[in-house]
Amino acid sequence: MLAMVLLAPMLLWIVAFFILPTALMIWESFAERGLAPYAAILTSPIYRKVLLTTLKICLITTSGSLLLGYPVAYMLTTCRPALRKLLLVLVVLPYWLDLIVRSYSWMILLGRHGLINQLVVGLGFSEGALPLLYNLFSVCLGMVQILLPLTILTLFSAMLRIDLRLVDAAAIHGASRWRAFLTVFLPLSLPGIYAAGLLVFVSALGFYVTPALLGGPEQTMISQTIMVIASDLLDWPLASAAGALLLVVTTCLLLVYSRFFRLDRMLGGVAR
Amino acid sequence: MRVGSAALKGVTGLVLLFLLFPVLVVVLISFSSVDFLSFPPPGLSLRWYRTIFSDWQWIDAFWVTAQVGALTALLSTLLGVPAAFALSRHVTRGRGMLNALVLAALVTPSVIKALAIYLYYVPLGLLNTIPGLAFAHTVSGIPFVVINVVASLAGYDRDIERAATIHGASPVRAVFGVTLPIIAPAIIVGAVFAFMQSAQELLIAIFVLSTLQKPLAVKLWEGVRVAIDPSIAAATTSVTLLVILGLVTVMLANRRSRPVRTVAHA
Repeated sequence: MLAMVLLAPMLLWIVAFFILPTALMIWESFAERGLAPYAAILTSPIYRKVLLTTLKICLITTSGSLLLGYPVAYMLTTCRPALRKLLLVLVVLPYWLDLIVRSYSWMILLGRHGLINQLVVGLGFSEGALPLLYNLFSVCLGMVQILLPLTILTLFSAMLRIDLRLVDAAAIHGASRWRAFLTVFLPLSLPGIYAAGLLVFVSALGFYVTPALLGGPEQTMISQTIMVIASDLLDWPLASAAGALLLVVTTCLLLVYSRFFRLDRMLGGVAR
Repeated sequence: MRVGSAALKGVTGLVLLFLLFPVLVVVLISFSSVDFLSFPPPGLSLRWYRTIFSDWQWIDAFWVTAQVGALTALLSTLLGVPAAFALSRHVTRGRGMLNALVLAALVTPSVIKALAIYLYYVPLGLLNTIPGLAFAHTVSGIPFVVINVVASLAGYDRDIERAATIHGASPVRAVFGVTLPIIAPAIIVGAVFAFMQSAQELLIAIFVLSTLQKPLAVKLWEGVRVAIDPSIAAATTSVTLLVILGLVTVMLANRRSRPVRTVAHA
């Protein structure tokens, strides 16, 4: 009873400003032309290409974030408390900075006359400027940088629950540090890898600013396409249908996530 | 073994460099003395901050963002804190669904939220209103408050609250007088995060509030694609300074509550 009273305002708010609008969007996608918008998206080669590109970018970004984030999360788990505090502040710092700023700075760094190209040409590694911007590389680089804090914090909060004495036990029984890591720590950290991977993948699906600023036409992602359909073509049923399809994918992935991982473990490192 | 840990330190350092270097670049460029983007800047000056803060369009944008963000943070706190209490103390059944709902409110792509809220607001007349944008941003702000407060309550010793009740406080008074002050830092962190996500959110802002008033995110977005001088860097760094101000507030709040917490753990 008390629980309902405490929960009701939040639930009503989420229903009024999230569930109902989303339901209206789904209704809008069917209202005018039935299933035609869905058929248009799923059969058109253009939209199919966008979907594949989005999937490709999200997979690369998720793998990249996990590869770069894992060592940092491991360092956080095993280092002294004083160093851990400092590292956590550094990891969370860019998380607080504007999304647009972070992509903008890559434009400055990777551009034709940017710092990287000045170095490459100045040191004689290449004759002319390298095409570092407006391609798959720059989009994934920018997205990994933005998603790394989330990856590291999710991995870290999962690794905190691993009993490090198990690794010591393996070492006492003659395993080298590396072998103890491979046979004991790494398998125990797999749930964290799955959780972080899932969360980063879902977050990557909705990216708009980074591919728009750092990518070329070949790197158009689904959010950009939906924005173009809605605000340039003004085709609301088609935009709604694309939105509904994206919603189905993210909701399925989220249900898998919340089935296996608890909410209060998220962002755990941020609070304290 | 020594080689292993040296390699780990090296990799961690490189990843942190990758994480923080772009941030440093923008901050330095914002103090540039020349009117083109060059890094490192040939000289330092405050001219781009003067440009930003003498331009009414930018000042308006700051003001719109401050209003929307403050309302979002307030609503997220008022709705999120009671829900966090219910989630961590009372609800046993349906917890999985509630978790999924809060998570969905957080990570559903904002293009979906933007499209849906636009279609929804047209008949309601909430388009081009500051509360309208804040109401929509509150959906993504609530999860930050809930997650932080639930995590804080998990580490909170409820016996202190019981002690207050035994000494004659009503349950409501015990929560307001004892529990809330102790978990206040988590509430503040949640509220600051709710503010930040509102200030950074672009797509809902474009749909709901773009014709009359422009929040900072929309102004930045338009600027990034046309401006080739460092004024954008100054504007974004101003946002960053705002964030650091928020961080300092949180840290001070943390420090002030520490004595209480030590008592709690004694």
